Amino acid sequence: MSNTSHEVAQGPHHNSGAASTALSAHSIDKKFPGVLANDSVDFDVRAGEVHTLLGENGAGKSTLAAVLCGLYQPDAGYLMRNGKRISLSSPRAGLQHGIAMVHQHFRLVERFTVSENVILGSRDLPFRLNRRELNEKVAAVAESYGLPIDPDATVGDLSVGQRQRVEIVKALYQGAEILLLDEPTAVLVPSEVEKLFENVHAMTAAGKSIVFISHKLGEVVEISDRVTVLRNGRVTGHVPGRGTADTKELARLMVGRDIELNAQRATHATGHEVLQIRNLSLSVNDVSVLTDISFNVHAGEMVGIAGVAGNGQRELADTIAGLISPTSGSVTISGSMTTDRGPVQAREVGLAYVPEDRLGMGLVPSMSILDNLLLTRDRQVVVDRISVRPEAARLIEQFEIKANGPDHLARKLSGGNAQKGLLARELSGGRGATKLLVVCSPTRGLDVGAIETVRRLLNDARSSGQAILLISEDLDEVLSLSDRVLVLYRGAVVHETAGETAQLSQVGAAMAGLSGGGR
Amino acid sequence: MLRIPFRVVFEQRGETARRLSLLVPLASVLAALFFGALFLLATGYSPIDTYINMFRDGFASFNGITDTLALSTVLICTGISAAFAFQMNLYNIGGEGQLYLGLIGGAWAGIALGDHLPTLLMVPVVLLCGAFAGAAWIFVPAFVRSRLGTSEIVSTLLLTYIGASLIKHVIYTPGSFFRNPNTSFPQGRLVADSASLDSFGSSRLYPTFFVALVIAGALYWVVKRTEFGYRINVIADSPKAAYYAGIHANRTTMWVMLISGALSGLAGAMLIVGPYGKIEPSIITLGYGYAGIVVAALARNNLGLIIVSGILFSGLKVGGNNLQVTTDTPIHIGVMLQGAILLFALGGEAFRRYHIHVVRVHDVSTKKVAA
Repeated sequence: MSNTSHEVAQGPHHNSGAASTALSAHSIDKKFPGVLANDSVDFDVRAGEVHTLLGENGAGKSTLAAVLCGLYQPDAGYLMRNGKRISLSSPRAGLQHGIAMVHQHFRLVERFTVSENVILGSRDLPFRLNRRELNEKVAAVAESYGLPIDPDATVGDLSVGQRQRVEIVKALYQGAEILLLDEPTAVLVPSEVEKLFENVHAMTAAGKSIVFISHKLGEVVEISDRVTVLRNGRVTGHVPGRGTADTKELARLMVGRDIELNAQRATHATGHEVLQIRNLSLSVNDVSVLTDISFNVHAGEMVGIAGVAGNGQRELADTIAGLISPTSGSVTISGSMTTDRGPVQAREVGLAYVPEDRLGMGLVPSMSILDNLLLTRDRQVVVDRISVRPEAARLIEQFEIKANGPDHLARKLSGGNAQKGLLARELSGGRGATKLLVVCSPTRGLDVGAIETVRRLLNDARSSGQAILLISEDLDEVLSLSDRVLVLYRGAVVHETAGETAQLSQVGAAMAGLSGGGR
Repeated sequence: MLRIPFRVVFEQRGETARRLSLLVPLASVLAALFFGALFLLATGYSPIDTYINMFRDGFASFNGITDTLALSTVLICTGISAAFAFQMNLYNIGGEGQLYLGLIGGAWAGIALGDHLPTLLMVPVVLLCGAFAGAAWIFVPAFVRSRLGTSEIVSTLLLTYIGASLIKHVIYTPGSFFRNPNTSFPQGRLVADSASLDSFGSSRLYPTFFVALVIAGALYWVVKRTEFGYRINVIADSPKAAYYAGIHANRTTMWVMLISGALSGLAGAMLIVGPYGKIEPSIITLGYGYAGIVVAALARNNLGLIIVSGILFSGLKVGGNNLQVTTDTPIHIGVMLQGAILLFALGGEAFRRYHIHVVRVHDVSTKKVAA
């Protein structure tokens, strides 16, 4: 999440100042048990503009979006569409007023074709569908906004970016004038984000309104005509967008204090090799997942692994952590061969592992913080919780975990606190002092405040001489934190560069499998 | 089209209030009694008298309470057998069959070892043999479940039918080792005197009741305090976390199922050293093993609560079954009341876990979106 924005062809867009208000919300209140998710929120979007809702997780963005599209009914306040007061009893009613939401988690039937998904939920369909005519209509809608898609393709075979396109085409096909995009870039790679932004410009050029929901500052500044910032259910600021917005200012409105996201890369001498990977290959069911990977990570060094999800990152991490036995090659952690020795052995020589799936793999949700601390440690036949309790209390304090004490259940921690808890356990060692930390997507889904803390913790660990392997789909994160960056594509390292000199475009191209330079 | 203007919405409770955990079961029982009263009134019996009789025969008389505790001895064992496996999402439905095998294993030890051992040694040996036989009966389901993921629900259930046939076989086959050779009636051969315990006074309660209590307590401690219990809890909640931490789920699955089978087998052997003294073929009609599943469900698989739910369930059974003996109420009324109380008690769970409210249709917001 750096200020360096993605290079995007600026599409034509309307001068939003002149356009009329398409949809507005007035003093919206929405309560849930124990929370006031929206507290007299005002919001409006004009025809042909991109108006962004910016806020941390839990700030009330999604709630407001749900109210705007008819999924929720507000407890107080009302909506106006083209100057007329409307009340939406369901998303279908919202659609009748031309309002559609593209959810973060797609609502598509994987076994259906694109066309079938597009007409899903439409009423008044003929008993017998004319597929050719339908496909032509779907294709025509898609083409007109620069969203090329094969109407006959099965959704299950499509990439994430393409599925998102299907969702957008579906909304447009159903006659949406106002599209609410809920965290649309969360699942996309840089090139797909670029493409999405082009589509957004095409849509606004055609007079559609876009409500863009995000917590990523860089892209918000890039895409928005206007920005409305939410915090704790309240509007904390209306800010003009593109060109004029300042990420620092936006971050302050969002979090309520100044934050420093671009943790300084510490420059210091690195030590001996802690992790050595030699010719590592892995095949699962005769499909090659990792191919001949070799690299080292030194003490006090952070090596980043960039790549699009599903290119072998998880398998690489699991293999280093001793969970998977490689087909060939070796893993050595601080001088000891740990290949095929299992996770306990790997931990004994200094491995710590923060998996991508933090609640459910890294932490046991129904267990207390105390019991979770014991997960990767030596346990006696009769588990000794009494002597571990003070340590748990100390870690909660040291890592600033918001919890009621060691008995707080892991599933009741917020995402950020769960991650801090997981890092606390892994960094504090257990079976042996931590020498190597493998972290996967450490800040995914976290709010800005927690991201800052997690990145600081990683930097601190590096400064204290631990070797860190950072595996993340967030390219900005990998580039801004790592001393060296490796790009994983189809299970092979296709690009290697120093962190400081890394070129976003080069790394992005390598992630997409377009170039193999640098190695 | 007719539109119903109201809709019932189930909203999951974030956290169950402690007060509700007490209130809901209590209200469930009251609702069940009210429901039963409707039937009693309709068939011409006084609900108040019937309930007083049931309570007296189940809990508030010497014979009532001792019979209840005697029955609970078996049901506590089959109850923890079920709950112990269920808490790790292993559905051992075949406690019934393992109990039959426990009966056979216990009887074998009681007959074969004769009077060579003193009672103090003999009884534990009989109990262990029963437990071992129960564990042996679940070994194959446990093995294929832990290695191949084969459904233990089906395999344990089907083995119960084979177990029932085995009971019939050892009793009805002429010249069978387990058959009483001194009579032409198909009866079980009595075990040695040293393998039989005496009941307390004039009651039908045997000291095995305390064995059941100790085992329930011990298992509770194992799950809460030991490394083995810790593993069970990790695997039960998230197998991926177990994998991550290097905990072998296969091995633990195997052990949990074997222990579960052993507990049901133990229940069978307790019948040998206690009231039966032989294989009683009518055991296959009593359903003690299946009742253990209900006892576990009533206790929500909480090992600490099995003793309570086992005794309550037994009291309900004893009180209901005695209605026909002590009053002229037919036994079917008693069985109906038992069923109603169980149904309401288990159905009440919905109120504990969900906030249920009726709303006008245009206010309905059934979908939840993260705020």
